[in-house]
Amino acid sequence: MARAEDSPVRIDTEAKILVKGITSVYHLKKNRTEQAREFIALKDINLEVRKGEFLVLVGPSGCGKSTLLDILAGLAVPTSGAVYIDGKIVTGPALDRGIVLQGYALFPWRTVRRNVEFGLEIKKVPKRDRTAISDHFINLVGLDGSAHRYPHELSGGMKQRVAIARALAYDPEVLLMDEPFAAVDAQTRENLQDELLRIWEATGKTIIFVTHSIEEAVFLGDRVAVLTPNPGTLREIVNIDLPRPRHNSDTRGSAEFGWIRRKIWELLQNSPSDVKRSLDKLKLQNASPDAKHHLNLLPVADIISPTASL
Amino acid sequence: MSTRKTVSPWCLASWLDRSSILLFFALWELAPKAGGLLETFIAPPSVVVRTLWDLLLSGELLGHLAVSLGRATTGFVVATLVALPLGFLLGGNFKSFERIVNPVLRFLGQVNPFSLSPLFIMLFGISELSKWAMIFWVCIWPILFNTITGVKGIDPFLVKSARSMGIGLPTLFWKVILPAASPGIFTGLKMGSGTAFFMLIAAEMIGASSGLGWLVWNAQINFQIPKLFAATAVISVLGMILNTLLVMAEKRLLGWRVSLPNS
Repeated sequence: MARAEDSPVRIDTEAKILVKGITSVYHLKKNRTEQAREFIALKDINLEVRKGEFLVLVGPSGCGKSTLLDILAGLAVPTSGAVYIDGKIVTGPALDRGIVLQGYALFPWRTVRRNVEFGLEIKKVPKRDRTAISDHFINLVGLDGSAHRYPHELSGGMKQRVAIARALAYDPEVLLMDEPFAAVDAQTRENLQDELLRIWEATGKTIIFVTHSIEEAVFLGDRVAVLTPNPGTLREIVNIDLPRPRHNSDTRGSAEFGWIRRKIWELLQNSPSDVKRSLDKLKLQNASPDAKHHLNLLPVADIISPTASL
Repeated sequence: MSTRKTVSPWCLASWLDRSSILLFFALWELAPKAGGLLETFIAPPSVVVRTLWDLLLSGELLGHLAVSLGRATTGFVVATLVALPLGFLLGGNFKSFERIVNPVLRFLGQVNPFSLSPLFIMLFGISELSKWAMIFWVCIWPILFNTITGVKGIDPFLVKSARSMGIGLPTLFWKVILPAASPGIFTGLKMGSGTAFFMLIAAEMIGASSGLGWLVWNAQINFQIPKLFAATAVISVLGMILNTLLVMAEKRLLGWRVSLPNS
């Protein structure tokens, strides 16, 4: 973990966030006596995020997307490589990044208001200012009138709104969201997506959003980084040129939305290791030279897409 | 479910609830008057109240009460001061060590101090210290075990989201760990104080020259049945007051929980 020695503390970059050669290796043990096995969660991830950009990390479970987010948050240390924010190396968690987790992680002994004010207390903001700020963000997420309620009195969607308000309240420049809408029902989820885009446009934050839903990724993101597992690799970054402002009611129905979704789906299906694995299987069955030809699957979206630039 | 259906049996039940205590006292008052053995062994409430009044006027009762409360509080407070930090360390920082020593702790927790009372008296004499030690012994285990469970059960995501804000360790402890573990801690304190009181009376009965337990024991050997009943009644009322105070404190401190157990 000699990260500080391998990487410069400062780096010249235009990017808000620069992810440079991140590799993360775990040592797994099934039980206490067994010898540890190596598990490569992330392999040489390079990524640049512009200021104010909405970047989505999409991939199946086990592709290391949550690990990458933890590294960005400063909660986990990569085996090698480094993350820079505004050119400065990340060495730990700080109030310049806000985090929103899938399980809400609200403090059950605090009311909505006191939850939102938590980061402000850490930041030692005086009490009078705290009230004004929490009022603002409670209104922003549409929870006016619920400031005095406790988390157990709220629905899942409302809890997630509180979590978003809490992360925004201490004014971080970057918002890191780890599958924040995975635990709510489909209807609430779409509402929250619309709300999140509205809040993003209102605040101008840089957002990195992790999800395993392709639809969600395409709907929200400026760009979608597709991650594939075993080991976690960045397969491709797909630009989403859908016009903004986007709304669930019309954006999802558009043809382009469908093409991009299909394209990302293809990227996730035909990961190089999958093709190789099925090729090997076929080779074992019959050594016909045609086998390779059959498996040379071009992504369908690339052939039939009317928007070749995708 | 219609309201009418549920209301009437509930009213009846609550009426019965309230009447049961009156019925109990009435039976208690009248039964000894039937004569026979009951008359010898049971003092009716009217006699108990008169005895209590006499004990109160002579200052005897308040003296014993103060001694007993002092002993229980000392043992309980010392046990809390030891058990809480130990529980936080074992449940939080030294989890693997806790796993190793858990069977030993569980075994010690089951050791009844009365079976070892000769040992306690040998070590500390028939002094206040031996009583404190017994109360300490019965209090420390529920507080320790429940604190460990409370700390272990803290949602790691709460800690994660607090840590993501670059929170310092002392702040993390006061603002997250302590409140998150407080339901467990409170359960331990509740159990501890309950047993402390219970055990104190017994401890005072086997080796003391003052306290409510001694009052009961003294009445016993002198066959002063009304005094025996008076002391027992005081102990029961004290236990009820303690319980009510704890329930009130729980409502105040842990009102944020989804549902509180009714008491």
